[in-house]
Amino acid sequence: MDQVTASIAPARTASSKSAAPGSGNDAAGTVTKRLGSELMSLMMSASPGISAFPKNDGNLFEWIGTIEGPDGTIYAGLTFKISIHFPPNYPYVPPKINFESPCFHPNVDINSGAICLDILQDKWSAVYSVQTILLSLQSLLGEPNNASPLNPDASKIWNQPEAFKMQLMRHYRPISDDGPN
Amino acid sequence: MASAALRNQVATKWQDAFNRLNRGQPGISGLMGFSEAWSVASEFLYPKDLGDPPKDFNVQHVKAAFDVLIQCRTLPMLLENFVETMRQRQYLITRDVEAFMAEYENSNDPGIIAKLTLRLCEWYAAWAPLVELGQTISAAYVAHFQTHVFSVLPPTFAGGFKALISATLAAFTDPESVPDAALVQDPNLWQCFETLGLTERYEALISSVCYEHIENHVTGMCAGKWDEQMLSKLREWMADKVVPWMLLPYARGAKTAEEARAMLQGVGSRFDFHVCKTLCDLRTKELFDIIIDYPESAAALQDLKECLQRVDQRSQLVQSLRKANKRRLLHPGADTKDILTQYVSIIRCLRIVDPPGVLLYKVAEPIRRYLRERPDTIRCIVASLVGDGESGDSLVDDNEPIQPLQGPQVDDYMDPNWDPEPIDAGPDFRANKPSDVISTLVSIYDSKDLFVKELQVLLAQRLLAVADGNYDNERRNIEILKIRFGEGPLQVCEVMLKDMTDSRRIDQHVQQQNPSILHPTIISRHFWPSLQSSKLTMPGQFKKIQDIYAKEYTAFKPDKRLRWLPHLGTVQLKLELQDRTLNTWTLDELMSRVGLTERTASLKALFAWVDRGVLHEESSENFRLLEQAEASTVPRGAAHRPIIEDEPMASTVAQEQAAQMRVYWRFIEGMLTNLGQLPIERIQSMLKFAPGYDQTQEQLAAFLEAAQREGLVTFSQGCWKLHR
Repeated sequence: MDQVTASIAPARTASSKSAAPGSGNDAAGTVTKRLGSELMSLMMSASPGISAFPKNDGNLFEWIGTIEGPDGTIYAGLTFKISIHFPPNYPYVPPKINFESPCFHPNVDINSGAICLDILQDKWSAVYSVQTILLSLQSLLGEPNNASPLNPDASKIWNQPEAFKMQLMRHYRPISDDGPN
Repeated sequence: MASAALRNQVATKWQDAFNRLNRGQPGISGLMGFSEAWSVASEFLYPKDLGDPPKDFNVQHVKAAFDVLIQCRTLPMLLENFVETMRQRQYLITRDVEAFMAEYENSNDPGIIAKLTLRLCEWYAAWAPLVELGQTISAAYVAHFQTHVFSVLPPTFAGGFKALISATLAAFTDPESVPDAALVQDPNLWQCFETLGLTERYEALISSVCYEHIENHVTGMCAGKWDEQMLSKLREWMADKVVPWMLLPYARGAKTAEEARAMLQGVGSRFDFHVCKTLCDLRTKELFDIIIDYPESAAALQDLKECLQRVDQRSQLVQSLRKANKRRLLHPGADTKDILTQYVSIIRCLRIVDPPGVLLYKVAEPIRRYLRERPDTIRCIVASLVGDGESGDSLVDDNEPIQPLQGPQVDDYMDPNWDPEPIDAGPDFRANKPSDVISTLVSIYDSKDLFVKELQVLLAQRLLAVADGNYDNERRNIEILKIRFGEGPLQVCEVMLKDMTDSRRIDQHVQQQNPSILHPTIISRHFWPSLQSSKLTMPGQFKKIQDIYAKEYTAFKPDKRLRWLPHLGTVQLKLELQDRTLNTWTLDELMSRVGLTERTASLKALFAWVDRGVLHEESSENFRLLEQAEASTVPRGAAHRPIIEDEPMASTVAQEQAAQMRVYWRFIEGMLTNLGQLPIERIQSMLKFAPGYDQTQEQLAAFLEAAQREGLVTFSQGCWKLHR
């Protein structure tokens, strides 16, 4: 039996290899197309305070986003950078999003920038887009989900605005125009 | 001292020489005879001055003397002696030559040269030994005489000789122009040239005289004369006038006409070639203007075609015409319409000159490239497609049959009339069979979609401008265009046209339900080019009428809704003004009432009323309704008014481009927001994410600079960033 499987195995890998690039290219093509149209609609929508753009020309899978804190919240007037990484099988799995600027927030890990947001995990659906994610993140700033905190310290003092603001400003770094490069 | 052997040898030689001279005659009588013969011969050969009295010689006697000398084998010595005396007597000729040349240099009369030549010939005849003396002596004499003569002729002689030759030629072609024709027409003259070896020596000069003569004649006769074919006339002229002259230098000694023809053949074809070349050069130089004059100048083009077949000047023609086009046509001062007209003429003309189209292909390329860069080219072509009658002459010949657009064709090698491509065709040359002009114009652009788009814009304007409900003209145009572009691309136009007739039908229906004074044109938004929108709201009763109509329409077509474009409509108003209350309005108040935002448009509308004596402008931008006509205010002239420009109703391609640029701005804004400051190269390459981005970096730079002037972006250290 071992011999049989051994003799079959290389052939199988070979066939799967030869098939892979073709299907991979196809998939990459549709993903690129989808990302391109998302970029177009994001550019044309002009939602205030949110924006994103590919990091480099020729690569639509790595984006950089900008989120301004919504007015009337403790984050008003602050601007945060995020990185967006789209997996090759997007939109069937959610993109990976991290805060690049330190963000003191109950659902954001202050060190890694990881975000705890349901639509970026189990509640993800293919109908969401970059724009909906950015809008969700913007509203998350003002309305944290204190039930599942990534930053327990922040969660604890969320109800004490002065103390929270002090912590927030201690970590906050304003964005310079030199960009991430 | 001399040895016996040497002495012996000398003695033998002496005896030999003596025997030869004495010819075995007794004593020294032979020697005496030789001496006498020598002196007779040298006396006979002595070069005399022309003025000297001729001496009588007994030919027999002289001949006998020469025979003696030949017998004694002393002829070479006699010749040497003769040549030496000729050299000594050369001053006689030199004297004459100098006298004549001095006279020529004073008067510049080629006749003098003719006289000089004749005189030299006299010298030649006077000094020439008898022909009977044999070939050797004559040949030696001719060679030496010519050497002597050429050595004394001054450098100015060549010029004089040239003038003389050209005088002889002119005497043949145009006898009146030569003053003393008799002299230069002296038939002996050419005999003399031959004798003196001038024909041979100045052969190049003689042919150059003829070339120049041909050039002058061709230029004088043909320059600017394009309405008849000149080549055959020129050839006639050559045969009638020049060939008789050519007989003199080139067919000397021909006994029969046959022989003469054979001798003239080579040189004749050279001159014929020169006629063609000169005419070809001339026409090439004039080609741009010939094309302007087409079709009056068709004969000149036929000439050019025939000449090109004989002379290989095709590349010169291409270069010269390209240069002329660049200088006279392809510059900002020329109207696009004119460029197109000239281009069409070039197409027609070069097809005459070169049916396979290689010349056209080479000449047309820069024009097409230039036209592609002009923003209004498509508009012009489309306007002429639909026969926009304003400008009068259309690009398209009405007699030309309407045919479908032709794409590049593949060679059909099964065609028995197939010809290979001409040798000067470039690798990218496409043998496009004589297709119609419109196909050629449309092929300036890579796709015909652009035309169809512009066509829709134009059609929209024209349909909306039709006031009397008669769309036959447009329908006819669309049918014609369908033949050219095919059914598919023109479907949208069909819908547009159908909208117009449908509107009438719908209107009739709505009027039956609820009579209204409003007769809207209802168009389908998806099939029409974007029309300029306006914030104009209809005031008062008009708004009410609109609303009632819209309601009735929705009842008729429940799934559709009307969106009014009141600024495109017209209102027929009859005002009854008598003893109304006085009302002054300021412009701003008026504008806010009708929701107008454009000052110029509102002003224009108000001035229209002022012109009709309904309103009166009290002070700047304050208007009063006149209850009764005031005579003084009627036409105050429009001079003081700002000039208000009319804008076309449908947005043109240029406006669409501006809209496109706004999309790009969003992308630039997006990347600068997220990526911080960027150099222009990055921006340019990142803009590839924007669909359909086709601007060059220079265009982008201009755009960014415009954005900088508006304070949207700033530029520092080679990078652009958003201005915050």
